[in-house]
Amino acid sequence: MTTDELNRSSPLDAPRDIGSARLAKVYAQAIVEAADRHQCQSEVVEELTHIVEDVLPRVESLTSVLESPRITPSDKTALVSKTFSGRVSTITLNTLLVLANHERLGLLPELVIALRRDLDQRAGRREAVLTTANSITPDEQAAILKSVEESLGESLTAHFSVNPDLLGGLVVRIEDTVYDHSVSTSLVSLAERLKQRSIHEIQHRRDRLGSA
Amino acid sequence: MKFNTDEIASVLREEIDRYQTGIDVREVGQVLEVGDGIARVWGLSGVMAGEMVEFPGGVTGLAFNLEENSVGVIILGDYLKVNEGDEVRSTGKLLSVPVGDAVIGRVLDPLGNPLDGKGPITTDKRRPVETLAPGVADRQPVREPLQTGIKAIDAMTPIGRGQRELIIGDRKTGKTAIGIDAIINQKHSGVKCFYVAVGQKDSSVAVAIDVLRKHGAMDYTTVIVAGGSTAAPLQYIAPYSGTAMAEEFMYNGEHALIVYDDLSKQATAYRQLSLLMRRPPGREAYPGDVFYAHSRLLERSAKLSDEHGGGSLTSLPIIETLEGEVSAYIPTNVISITDGQIYLQPDLFFAGQRPAMNVGISVSRVGGAAQTKAMKKVSGGLRLDLASFRELEAFAQLGTDLDAATQSRLDRGYCMVELLKQGQYQPLDIVDQVLSIYAGTRGHLDNVERDKVAAWESGFLTFVRDQTPEVRSRLEETKALDDETERLLEAAIAEYKRQVQGAKQPEPSLAGSN
Repeated sequence: MTTDELNRSSPLDAPRDIGSARLAKVYAQAIVEAADRHQCQSEVVEELTHIVEDVLPRVESLTSVLESPRITPSDKTALVSKTFSGRVSTITLNTLLVLANHERLGLLPELVIALRRDLDQRAGRREAVLTTANSITPDEQAAILKSVEESLGESLTAHFSVNPDLLGGLVVRIEDTVYDHSVSTSLVSLAERLKQRSIHEIQHRRDRLGSA
Repeated sequence: MKFNTDEIASVLREEIDRYQTGIDVREVGQVLEVGDGIARVWGLSGVMAGEMVEFPGGVTGLAFNLEENSVGVIILGDYLKVNEGDEVRSTGKLLSVPVGDAVIGRVLDPLGNPLDGKGPITTDKRRPVETLAPGVADRQPVREPLQTGIKAIDAMTPIGRGQRELIIGDRKTGKTAIGIDAIINQKHSGVKCFYVAVGQKDSSVAVAIDVLRKHGAMDYTTVIVAGGSTAAPLQYIAPYSGTAMAEEFMYNGEHALIVYDDLSKQATAYRQLSLLMRRPPGREAYPGDVFYAHSRLLERSAKLSDEHGGGSLTSLPIIETLEGEVSAYIPTNVISITDGQIYLQPDLFFAGQRPAMNVGISVSRVGGAAQTKAMKKVSGGLRLDLASFRELEAFAQLGTDLDAATQSRLDRGYCMVELLKQGQYQPLDIVDQVLSIYAGTRGHLDNVERDKVAAWESGFLTFVRDQTPEVRSRLEETKALDDETERLLEAAIAEYKRQVQGAKQPEPSLAGSN
């Protein structure tokens, strides 16, 4: 379970680039299957996540070097093997080398997201975002998640976020489905219903509600 | 009107008391890009093709393209209000429009919103915009006539209730005029009329509405407007929503007439949408399913069987050709879908023959069965005669000496062409049409000068109305021309000719002005 991801508004939001998300999905599937054969799935995912989340932001120019088309694939391959060989597992190193060879190192951030999603899917877990109006403690988060999982009858990879505009209540988004039990939505729907009801009454019972 | 605020407050209080909060479950997506009336949406994984989706701010859209990673949505409304990143929700509903008596006499947009400033449409009845056409078992052959009030059409290309008759021709040849005349002529027939203006200049639509109003036709007519400045998605759905409104009457055993003005503009709007959605372009850059777009629309016009109420929906689609090119993609498509076409030609139009119908290539494939007996009797062979007259006419222009028989055929042709001319917005009653065409085809006008034919005709119709009403009443009752009626009619014509002759003798300058 990861808590508030402040850098992205929601992990279920549209990717920056649909094309690379699609590519990353294909690579992710291949990596998971390769790692599966060597029984080192979690290790590979952990290492790649570590590279994307800790190494890339720390070394300033690394991302641009990896993405730059002016640096030849052979230079990138050399760089990758020099940097990572012996420090990561064989599958992870091979993954990076394949990406370098195909000039796809820029895909790494999307690849990590796709990897997590692929593993979740294999484990029958679905990704969910739970939004509340106020920040809540980890204990409360766990309790809410448990009750949501129980009522839906499935296990979730949950992300929590806070949106004061909700005023109160809880909004659970699982993939494309939103279960909205927030105060703001209730108020909006109440207002809409009152408006519809008034229009209906005025149109159908003009004599009772109005005088010429 | 003053509203009683206490009553309204009590209604609201009641509603608040009964209000129960429930979990609002919805399927959502996110706008990736928007422009030109379409949006590309991420998510909405469970949305179905043709389903209505909702953007924030109440703008609706239709799921048009379902792709691997995104959904292409056409935006029905102001697409400038939709922004990148907006949440889109699916509604699980199909697009529908208000129908029934409440829409009669109104001017609406393709979503059923009023454009005439006469207040909201008060009805609970709605119909989905896209529905399946009635099947084979629900139909029966066309058998009742739908009178357009235009002599040339009712005599030579008769239209039956439930028929689809295409009106095709270049710009400015009087296509719309035929549709409007047909609507005006339904005044006492009980047929509900729908005029769908797609991609037209708003000024021309305003003129059409004004004409309908002046002739009292707005009492039974609905106008659906998607003008030239309307976004392409609305132009694309306008004919379907007009049909949904008209169908309501058909399925309730009534009769309706719908004029699509015009389907070439709708095809253009559909082409725009399809190209923006990156569907592969085909011939003339139209998408592959443009034929289906028109065939599923026109198939909804039908004559229902008696078990289903016997209602009918007649349609008059209009197609504009370029330089008379009927073999272009859209014209050939619609010609093959419809049950006949009325072909209007600019050279005839400018030669003063209005309606400028080319009788040689105008046909009605099923309307003959619906023609009244009287009209069938007087107009039989008229179409072929006129077509052969056109050939002879070209020959005669060479200036060769003609034998008497050919000359008389030519004279008869000229006379019939004159007789079939008819002013705009002046539909004729079917009995009057039978009377004048009888006089023409039986050669009673052969000796009348060409420029006096119109005067002779109107004088004769007045004469029959005033002095021999039994001929009219017999025709009205039986709708057939039996021997006795024919005898009376011959006598009436002889008497009228005598009176014209008599008026001519003392004061020759007044000839033909009775």
